[in-house]
Amino acid sequence: MRVYLCEDSVDGIFTGVYDAWASRLGHDNVKLLAQSGEVYEPELFCEYQRVETDPEKAGKVLKTIRNRISEYAAQMLIRACCSADEEKADDIYRFIVLGLNMGRRTSDQLSDPHVMSIFEKDRQVGNEAHHYLGFLRFSRVKEGVLFAEFEPKGDITAIVAPHFADRLPDENFIICDRRRRKAAVHPAGDQWFLTEVSEELLQKMEESSDRGDEYRNLWKVFFTSIGIEERRNEKLQNNLLPKRFRSMMTEFQIYE
Amino acid sequence: MCYNMENKHMFAILAREQYLIIDRMVRNMVLQERLSLEEKLRILSDAAKYDVACTSSGVERAGNGKDLGNAAACGICHSFAADGRCISLLKILYTNECVFDCKYCLNRSSNDIERATFTPEEICTLTMEFYRRNYIEGLFLSSGVLRSPNETMEKIVQTLQLLRVKYRFNGYIHCKAIPGASEDLIEAAGWFADRMSINMELPTAEGLKALAPHKTRRTILTPMRKIQLGIEESRAALGMMGGNEGAYRVTQKRLYESTGGRLGTSKEQRGTISEGTLKLLEEGGIPGKPGNEKRSEGTGAHSQRNTRSRTEQTDILREGESAAEEVLLERAGNRMLRPDKLGAARGFAAAGQSTQMIIGATGESDYQILSVAEALYQKFDLKRVFYSAFIRVNDDSALPEIPGGPPLLREHRLYQADWLLRYYGFEAEELLTEQKPNFNVFLDPKCDWALRNLEQFPVEVNRADYFTLLRVPGIGTRSAGRIVRARQNGTLRFEDLKKARSGAETGYLFYYLCRKDDVSCEDRGELHYESTAGAERPAEAVQGRFHDLSAVVFVRRCSIWTV
Repeated sequence: MRVYLCEDSVDGIFTGVYDAWASRLGHDNVKLLAQSGEVYEPELFCEYQRVETDPEKAGKVLKTIRNRISEYAAQMLIRACCSADEEKADDIYRFIVLGLNMGRRTSDQLSDPHVMSIFEKDRQVGNEAHHYLGFLRFSRVKEGVLFAEFEPKGDITAIVAPHFADRLPDENFIICDRRRRKAAVHPAGDQWFLTEVSEELLQKMEESSDRGDEYRNLWKVFFTSIGIEERRNEKLQNNLLPKRFRSMMTEFQIYE
Repeated sequence: MCYNMENKHMFAILAREQYLIIDRMVRNMVLQERLSLEEKLRILSDAAKYDVACTSSGVERAGNGKDLGNAAACGICHSFAADGRCISLLKILYTNECVFDCKYCLNRSSNDIERATFTPEEICTLTMEFYRRNYIEGLFLSSGVLRSPNETMEKIVQTLQLLRVKYRFNGYIHCKAIPGASEDLIEAAGWFADRMSINMELPTAEGLKALAPHKTRRTILTPMRKIQLGIEESRAALGMMGGNEGAYRVTQKRLYESTGGRLGTSKEQRGTISEGTLKLLEEGGIPGKPGNEKRSEGTGAHSQRNTRSRTEQTDILREGESAAEEVLLERAGNRMLRPDKLGAARGFAAAGQSTQMIIGATGESDYQILSVAEALYQKFDLKRVFYSAFIRVNDDSALPEIPGGPPLLREHRLYQADWLLRYYGFEAEELLTEQKPNFNVFLDPKCDWALRNLEQFPVEVNRADYFTLLRVPGIGTRSAGRIVRARQNGTLRFEDLKKARSGAETGYLFYYLCRKDDVSCEDRGELHYESTAGAERPAEAVQGRFHDLSAVVFVRRCSIWTV
């Protein structure tokens, strides 16, 4: 068994798929693992091989998926790549193997465990991204920049950014994933792009993000007065807005 | 015109209270100047919170690359308040001054409370700044009645115009129509708003008379009809802008199929039926159930209209916006106002129309409420009917005392039934009858229905059509669709359903896979017998036969019912 260790990104995993396929070892004799660090608990009788991420190879894989399976499946797989689960890479490989035989119907083949797994990861990532479309909070940094930070489970910065670029075309904004130290940057009237963020830069941003913004306070006033006391239901609130989202949300930040 | 007469009547009542009102207005004007934006926001959001709708769904509109905002068809919730209700829009009143004296309302004219009025500029700034920070999806603007319905509606239109034209806001706007306001003003609002709504307030005309003396069925239904016509015209001339489909289309489709697909012919016929229902609604009775013929006519016209609008849409888009305006004018025979350019690009209330009813303030049964809702879906093409559990905010002898707090569970059951009406192909009469006019609060309406109709189960998942699958407790629209797609690739077994999260856990009693190796024919007969007997004590009937964990889930649900 040969295990391909690929970088935890869309390009990394798709390159892994390419290499594993090209090895001609047979599908049963290869395994993919999305892991950038060391392997702490190597399995017996396994040979580990690190995959060099190659956008060209990844592009070929993506093109094949689009042509031979479906655009929908491509979307599913890309989102699954963003999932925080380490097992995803192998499921993606199996999905593609099955897909090249079955074609468009693959994504409906929910009785297949790998398809089911991709389906679930796609849904999970999609749901989280959808949550953040609402729960993300911008605050004004002094130089007329809107700054938002979040700590999503999945790597969804690139999924949520287009929504905000479409919505706020004339604004400078930065959406920063604190956990992964990466950010989507959107200059007013221009295309957005992904970039890495250093610790110092993040700190600087957080300090200069304007805590004295009067609209932060107005929003809190609104948030409090819009609730109906007679219908108080914290359990429902917790179900619909889990606590892990709240630390980054203006209305739940009591101390400024 | 009808609404003018209503206004006269209203002003006669007002004359008696004139002194009090003027006195308070002067007092408030002095106060107003001292109110900060924060205080106004607190007062006017507090006053708006009893309006239920906070949905931002129903319209898909991409950003235009320049102006602030877009709209997502699925709607986006931005926060959840301490009562667990979604916050998606900046929900405020323009003013909580009100000349109406509705007994259930906090803002009634006879209440001595803090009053405030926004300026249009203030509303625009708040909306824009909140939107930028991703606090909200858009604006929900309602209002108390300031001096007269027309004057209030004018202020609302003015605010929306400012927001759309000067501030170039491209996000979502939900606008309330004021009962008794002139048709022109309501139409103007519709061109700026994504959703329009006017509250039914109470399900029956008597209830309305008793609790809202300044409102009548007519002053509510006339604007509602006006908005409906606006939406229809806009659909016909501009196409399905923002994907604005009828909310009742799913059930309509089922009814259409079950009547053998007979097509209706003319729009006029539909018009007369609608007028008839309008009359029925006004007179306050439960609207009569339309016969099958009428229903299929409605559906036929609906589908015809779709194809027509699609072809016209492509023509129109080619000719540009100005042409679209001309078509609108021509079609409407100058009845419609000329929409501004932005309006033409957005359509008229593209996210449709909604309304809300207060539950539990007057003595209606669930059956009456649900029948009214069904009539509104069928005849007024509403997108949503909202139900609002009555909260006793005023100490008035006309209002009931509710010791257990607002009837939240009843409200919940009505919402569940409402979904069954719109997406599951149910009719109000299947769920409730005059003999059984109220829902069992311990059991959801679909489960309740299934237990009363056990002869329709078990269902064979591999063959049953979509609408039959939808009737199985535990299976919803998504999983039914998933089952229909997945079974094209092979026979489904129970394990597959479980894996596909198809709701099999809750629905195990009801669908039973007709496979030889799972269960013998005798067993199937026995099950049928047991489940029929189980209508009385379903928990025991199931327990004896299934040891599967999945069945236990259903048993647990039923055990509440048997207690």
